Amino acid sequence: MEATIFNVQRFSTEDGPGIRTTVFFKGCPLRCAWCHNPEGISPRPELMWYDTHCIAARDCLAACPESALELTADGMNIDRDKCTACGTCAEECPAAALDIIGVTWTLDKLFDEIVRDVSFYENSGGGITLSGGEVLLQHDFASALIHKCKQNKLHVAVDTTGFASPGIFDNVTGPADLVLLDLKTMDDAASREFTGVSLDLILENARRLGQSGKPVWVRTPVVPGATDSPDNIEAVSRFIVANLPNCERYDLLPFSNLCISKYERLDMPFRFRKTELPAQESMDELKSLAESCGVKNVVVQGLTVRNA
Amino acid sequence: MTEQAACGVTGIWNPSENLPPRVKKLRDEYFSFYDRDYFRNEVRAYSTGTEWDSVYSIYVWTILPELFPFFTAFSDSLLASAEIVEQPKDYWSKPLAVRRAEFFGQVISERLPVKILDGELIVGSYFNTALSKNHTKREGRILKRCVTRWLDEARMIHETGIGNCGAVPGHLIPNYKKVVQRGLTGIVDEIEEELAVRPPKSKRDNLHAMRICLEAVPGLTERYAVEAERLASATDDANRRAELLDIARICRKVPWDAPETFHEALQALWFTHMLVMAAESYPGPGLSHGRIDQYLEHLYAKDIREGRITRDQAKELLMCYWIRHNYAYDFQGRIGSNQGINSGFGQLVTLSGCGPDGEDLTNDLTWLILEVIEEMNLLEPKPNIRIHKNTPPELLERICEMLARAQGAPFLLNFDEASIRGLKWQGLPEDQLWDYAPVGCLENTLQGNDRSGTVDVNLNVAKAVELVFNNGRDELTGRRLGPRTGEPESFKTFEAFYSALNKQLDAIVDRIIEAAGEADGMRAAFEPTPYLSTLVDGCIKNGVDITSGGAEYNFITVEGIGFATLVDSVVAVKSLVFDQKKISMHELALALKDNFEGHEKTRMLLMNRAPKYGTDSDEADKLARELSEHWTKRTFGRVSKKTGRRFRGGYLSWNYWISYGPLTAATPDGRLRGQFLSNGIGPVNGMDKKGPTANIRSVGKVGLETAPNGASHTMSISPSLLRDPEHKEKLAALIRAYGEQGGTALQINMLDVDTLKKARDNPQEYSNLLVRVTGYNAYFVNLGREIQEEIIARESGVL
Repeated sequence: MEATIFNVQRFSTEDGPGIRTTVFFKGCPLRCAWCHNPEGISPRPELMWYDTHCIAARDCLAACPESALELTADGMNIDRDKCTACGTCAEECPAAALDIIGVTWTLDKLFDEIVRDVSFYENSGGGITLSGGEVLLQHDFASALIHKCKQNKLHVAVDTTGFASPGIFDNVTGPADLVLLDLKTMDDAASREFTGVSLDLILENARRLGQSGKPVWVRTPVVPGATDSPDNIEAVSRFIVANLPNCERYDLLPFSNLCISKYERLDMPFRFRKTELPAQESMDELKSLAESCGVKNVVVQGLTVRNA
Repeated sequence: MTEQAACGVTGIWNPSENLPPRVKKLRDEYFSFYDRDYFRNEVRAYSTGTEWDSVYSIYVWTILPELFPFFTAFSDSLLASAEIVEQPKDYWSKPLAVRRAEFFGQVISERLPVKILDGELIVGSYFNTALSKNHTKREGRILKRCVTRWLDEARMIHETGIGNCGAVPGHLIPNYKKVVQRGLTGIVDEIEEELAVRPPKSKRDNLHAMRICLEAVPGLTERYAVEAERLASATDDANRRAELLDIARICRKVPWDAPETFHEALQALWFTHMLVMAAESYPGPGLSHGRIDQYLEHLYAKDIREGRITRDQAKELLMCYWIRHNYAYDFQGRIGSNQGINSGFGQLVTLSGCGPDGEDLTNDLTWLILEVIEEMNLLEPKPNIRIHKNTPPELLERICEMLARAQGAPFLLNFDEASIRGLKWQGLPEDQLWDYAPVGCLENTLQGNDRSGTVDVNLNVAKAVELVFNNGRDELTGRRLGPRTGEPESFKTFEAFYSALNKQLDAIVDRIIEAAGEADGMRAAFEPTPYLSTLVDGCIKNGVDITSGGAEYNFITVEGIGFATLVDSVVAVKSLVFDQKKISMHELALALKDNFEGHEKTRMLLMNRAPKYGTDSDEADKLARELSEHWTKRTFGRVSKKTGRRFRGGYLSWNYWISYGPLTAATPDGRLRGQFLSNGIGPVNGMDKKGPTANIRSVGKVGLETAPNGASHTMSISPSLLRDPEHKEKLAALIRAYGEQGGTALQINMLDVDTLKKARDNPQEYSNLLVRVTGYNAYFVNLGREIQEEIIARESGVL
């Protein structure tokens, strides 16, 4: 059994309790305009070029069976229509300046990587987190992985957009110990505009999750001009209070622009490239607002700007 | 104006604003190097006045190779400045140990000046000495000849990048616990008992010498008592008068008699400790206290219980005691320096740790001392906290809080289970192992009976790689340093290469051990230290000076430098030349010879396409384990011929991983000549690309028991990991898990890059910015530019 995974992050401290290994599954049905892991959107492997590593050895140009590469004064042009992400160029590059994002992992190999840090999970109350992209797109593999982790008594968290058919959603989240559920907006028009999908399926899954009794952390990326209005945070908060009695924690995640270079490497436009980080003060206000709606354990997690 | 505020930004690490006024005054006074003209603990030389006298031992200082050009000047100028202490004619017919003892006794009881600073509660000011070696003309001549010959070899070993060695004082834990329990008088009783059975002459001479040293101590402490009384009568301040009279009383009591209060104990410890520095003419490095929270706790508890002292008063006493240690380096205050000379050298105190049944021994005094450490923010003494599986969560939480607030690491963490495994492996008695303690930085030894010699030998293990590629010759000078193992192209299999490499490794291990043994032998023959011998168990019983192997346990540590550079080089050869066949041996050899000039592609392949130690790669870690076992086991098979001290391995690179960079040719891990070697047991800089857990696991897999003196592992953690209680708990868990993996000593640096860059560019504004470099504290602005850049690079890589 195999999956396409774009990162296995050990010592992950931001995706659930304790010290964790986070597995990032490639491919996502949403198109969030602020996505900070754009390399996780396409389900297919993709080629990335790192200008800072390149030594212009040019081995890649000759190696490419599709002639998809061209090294110019402005950098590497990757003809993405031709590139099949076969990885030949990356293999030949001595400087590791080319990298295939999205590697095929077998279940056994992935599990072998995960169990290396068991001692760290045990001492910290950590475990593994399945994230993405959207893990539910590769639900068969995810279920098998969760099953194997549970057999070995590892704590499992599933980090999801909630956008999947109810059967798949329940199958994968059912055996997990914790669900990290993204609720970005409560406005369907905004959802369609900024994430490309309607809210219906997500909220339906969320409501059912609310009846499951399973621990849930809700997370809202606070993106200036998209999700950061007090109205939106209040609406999410009221949804949580009304539908998710099992929500143990509500994370407000300030927008981050550290992903700009990833967009450039993937030749993708980034709508928020000029957007600044939210101010600490406004994050604190949103936190108070959520609390005033009755949400417990509201946490602001991430970089902010502090007005000096 | 706004600034991007990464969470957990720390300010410059200043002392607490709540220091008691007395302590603040004493602390500021210490740092007033340019204004404090009325007192400086400069080195004071004392000579017998003979024309052949010497007050400086070169073999003590050869582990600081940057001093090589200055040895003659230091030696001559100290002698020229020496105060003459004339000796009667019959002096010269006495045994050397007795001469050394009498001279030491004269100096401390009659010559060493006495000074009590205003407000001090723990006294004892002047102790930096350069004492006469007390040699007869014949002894002086023989030693000079031996040293001259030996120095050629020591210089050769250094200049060819093999490493350095010497016979280094300090670096042990005297039996201070015994001084607290019985006083010097109790030790004199032991000497008398041995003398009573009419031992043979050499033993009798040594015992006499030891007794002379101890009996001279009250001569010094009485002068402090008199000075305290003089100051008492001169002051109008009734409180201070009472303090001074109490100081006088205490000075007349300790360390001769056993202390009975916490204050008396600290004063007894300080006198005893400063006199070790005076006796060895060595300012403190590695002279360590051991488990001070254990052997002082009963007196602290008793004073509190009986209402003799409050917790705050005890804390103030500890703070006064803390400040005293910094005067060991007073003479460097005005010099400033390069490459970390102006740094704390490690008068180590050990806190917490397990008991005989694995139980935790954290006590009230542990907690109090942690407050002292945090509020004082001083270089010395240096704390090391023992962690084990029963360490209470509150202590780990406190440790993480201190890390969060500190800039630089306020302490080192030592891991009991792995440390004890190593001590057991080297054959120390199992019933004593729980009570081990580190000296200097992190070097594990027993307390009070172990002449541990922890930095006597510093071996650049990565040099073996250069030798195997040059058929046993130093690339730069062409000198033959190892056997002819063949040209690189002749290695047709990895096994052939590996076998040749190990032969080169053996050659440098053997060579440096031989030289170290000679230094050890010279010191044994020409520089007995009877005062220190009284404080280390075994010397009295055996009637043998500590320098001659009199202690119960005698070791000399060979500290490995550049271990990960060695490992990654061997792994790269295996992977790229023999397994993947991406590079031919011919091309690799050529690239190394050309220092990779014109071979950038080869270099990139080596850096990017081979497994690396520090990433939890089983392939790299297996070789790491083999290589470590190979050189450390060979080392452990050797003893110093004259003294019987056994050599043992450890991993502590001090600043040598920088200074031996230029003396080591380009290596197959992609490192250019001049670039740093790897530090301690840690991965090559920047190669721990899978994060801290993978890094920790790689270190754990080395199997460090065969390097039983301990292994320095430095990790930088992003400050964001300590931004809130939730994340502090994660760090606490990381520390706890570390102990299960097999590493022995961890230093966590918590620095933010912006502050460091600002400090680099505006040194005057950041003169008190403390960082820790390889197990010692240093003022960042006083570090060499290279180390500054290194620290900045290391931090940037993590953030």
